[in-house]
Amino acid sequence: MKFKKAVAALMAVTMVFGLAACGSKPKEDANAGDGEKDVKTQDEGNEPAEENTGDESGEAPQGNGEFVYKEAELTMSVDADETLDGIEAVCAKAEELLGIKVNIEIRPAGLEGESLIRTRLSSGDMTDLVIAGGGTQLEMIEASKYYISLNDTDIPDKIDDIVRNEMTASDGNMYGIPIGTSMSACILYNREMYEQYNLEIPKTWDDFLENCRILKEAGETAIIGTYADNWTAQVPLLADWYNVNLAEPDFVEKFTAGEAKFATSEAAVKTWNKFGDLIEFYNEDYMAATYDDGCAMMAEGEGAHWFMLTQALSNIYSLYDKETVDNIGIFGMPDEDPDKTGLIVMGCNGLFGNKNTGKTEDIMRFIEFYISETGLDAYCEAQLPDGPALVKGYQLPEGSYRAVAEDMMAYFDEGRTTPNMELVLPVKGSNCPAICVEAASGQVDGKTAAEKYDADCYKIAVQIGLGWDE
Amino acid sequence: MDKKKTYSIWFLMPALVIFVIFYIIPTVSSLYYSLTIWSIDGAEFCGLDNFRMFFSENSLSIGIKNTLIFSVLTCLIKVILGFVIALFLTSGIRTKNLLRSIVFFPNLISTVAVGITFKALLHPTKGLFNRFLDLFGAGGTDWLGNADLALYSVIGVDGWKGLSVAVVIFIAGIISVDKTYYEAAEIDGASWLQRLRYITLPLTRGSRNSIIILSFIGGLRHFELIWSMTGGGPGFATDVLASIIYKQYADGFYGLSTAGNVIMLVLIACLAFPLQAFLRRREVD
Repeated sequence: MKFKKAVAALMAVTMVFGLAACGSKPKEDANAGDGEKDVKTQDEGNEPAEENTGDESGEAPQGNGEFVYKEAELTMSVDADETLDGIEAVCAKAEELLGIKVNIEIRPAGLEGESLIRTRLSSGDMTDLVIAGGGTQLEMIEASKYYISLNDTDIPDKIDDIVRNEMTASDGNMYGIPIGTSMSACILYNREMYEQYNLEIPKTWDDFLENCRILKEAGETAIIGTYADNWTAQVPLLADWYNVNLAEPDFVEKFTAGEAKFATSEAAVKTWNKFGDLIEFYNEDYMAATYDDGCAMMAEGEGAHWFMLTQALSNIYSLYDKETVDNIGIFGMPDEDPDKTGLIVMGCNGLFGNKNTGKTEDIMRFIEFYISETGLDAYCEAQLPDGPALVKGYQLPEGSYRAVAEDMMAYFDEGRTTPNMELVLPVKGSNCPAICVEAASGQVDGKTAAEKYDADCYKIAVQIGLGWDE
Repeated sequence: MDKKKTYSIWFLMPALVIFVIFYIIPTVSSLYYSLTIWSIDGAEFCGLDNFRMFFSENSLSIGIKNTLIFSVLTCLIKVILGFVIALFLTSGIRTKNLLRSIVFFPNLISTVAVGITFKALLHPTKGLFNRFLDLFGAGGTDWLGNADLALYSVIGVDGWKGLSVAVVIFIAGIISVDKTYYEAAEIDGASWLQRLRYITLPLTRGSRNSIIILSFIGGLRHFELIWSMTGGGPGFATDVLASIIYKQYADGFYGLSTAGNVIMLVLIACLAFPLQAFLRRREVD
């Protein structure tokens, strides 16, 4: 009896301790930490600043003026599928030169991460810095309430036009800076395999399918599919936008007014039909493979083509070596006219500052540092660009990936580019990834998928009050 | 008869207050919000548009169909297989206690952990499940990637997890059947099958009804396993009401999401109450 009582008492005590221990400890620590830091910067901030600026002006390159050294700690939220090398390099440099320590928090990739941002912003519990997409993603958050506007600084003038629009919300305020270089939605291909099978870069869709057939008969996986990460299924849709826009230049205007639809536009339906053409060429586990699997397959030559964003080049570079990445080339998604192939240009994700955490000064210091030449150099040293730079007047470093320097620049030099669909259309269906997966796996045919996508866009248009008729 | 009340109604107050604040008020206010377009900015009245959209748009109405398939099938698996396993575990085998603990074990793991583990096991090329089938020469397929098969794979996994509770309840029910009935039946020369059919089955009706109601209602509301295994995919093949509601919420369409919740409430009420009444009537006391 006594033994039982003793055990019961011990368990009760353990439970109470357990609850107390896992209570709000992490938050308390963070708060205590911030409080201490604030006190420190008041007292000691002046001293190091005086000491270090003396040393600093001798050493540090003066991109855009002197960097003030003042210790601070910021938190940053990043998408799980983002390559961190460049960002971490800038953060390390910022700690060295500015005294700002950035703690990076990873959030789930894709739609879940986006909804996490929205929820945390509206509950007031978000990090100081947020790396997220611009364009339609930015529209769906009430930027004026949550993000610091950059309109009063000289930053907007330094940013390339294409991405400036992406970082600007509909209220005219620019909220974010591009975190890296531009990238493209296109088809990645394996140069070695093309040489081995004597293939040429396809200029029409039929040529492309013919290349795939030759590869398939030789026993290779012609196209890599990674649809466990359903955001990757959207790339063919995005990449083919160049051809849709070329065929119907007034589609954007009409779509915004609610008159044009994907299902009624001949060019758009052709895009959706292309999904069906690809089904026979995928790898066996294309519905279960992830983006990471895709990067590995592309790098190790297990697949010939991959419809992907050029950000994958950076992912592959950070896991393998430059030679592997240089073996990968890109070309724009072809259509019918062999002379009119082109590339989609996407800005990269943006860095936004949270204006409700009370650290606006430090956040702005970090943002301005990121855009400065020192910051950009730090970034490009660690992570070679996935496309042309987005800050005006910044030269790409030597030794960029071959795909970027040769293949992509060719399109840019000849002016055969167009901005990303997500940037110019007012609405993007939130079920777009799922509908693309359905089209990609053959569950629905092209026309049905287009109709579903229209219904999805209509649903959103109603919710955000665009005033469309059905 | 006028019974003098032993306890004053004030004893009920604390629980009643909490119940009203956290259950009644949100339910009533959600009925209002389901008729609005609700976002971070505010709520704008729009009548029955949200409900109309739910029933007309394909990606939303498929949830209702999938939810019904899911709950009916998991209910059947748990009742039938659960009973069979419980019979086995109440018979005269020696390792009863050990087996009962093993069978109950899945219930102790978090559903999300089960979902993630089975997602890895069911991977078409790297998963253990298909590799195991290959040993016998039987080919495996893409269990979670094939749109026709995905929902049934998830139902299977949910059955695996839910069987544990069903078996335990059935064991309790079977054990509680009075032994004298069996003795009388044996004397009268009843076979094992006849004993099962005329004594065990009727007298475990109470446990059976509990399991039917619990697994049916649980299945109608289920979310975690589906979300962690397929996220509603591939495409929309495994989308159930709960995951669709979550997706609308995640997109910031709170009004549409609330409308989905109201539909789920009505669906459960319309199905569960009659079911319960029907089962109660047939219960032997």
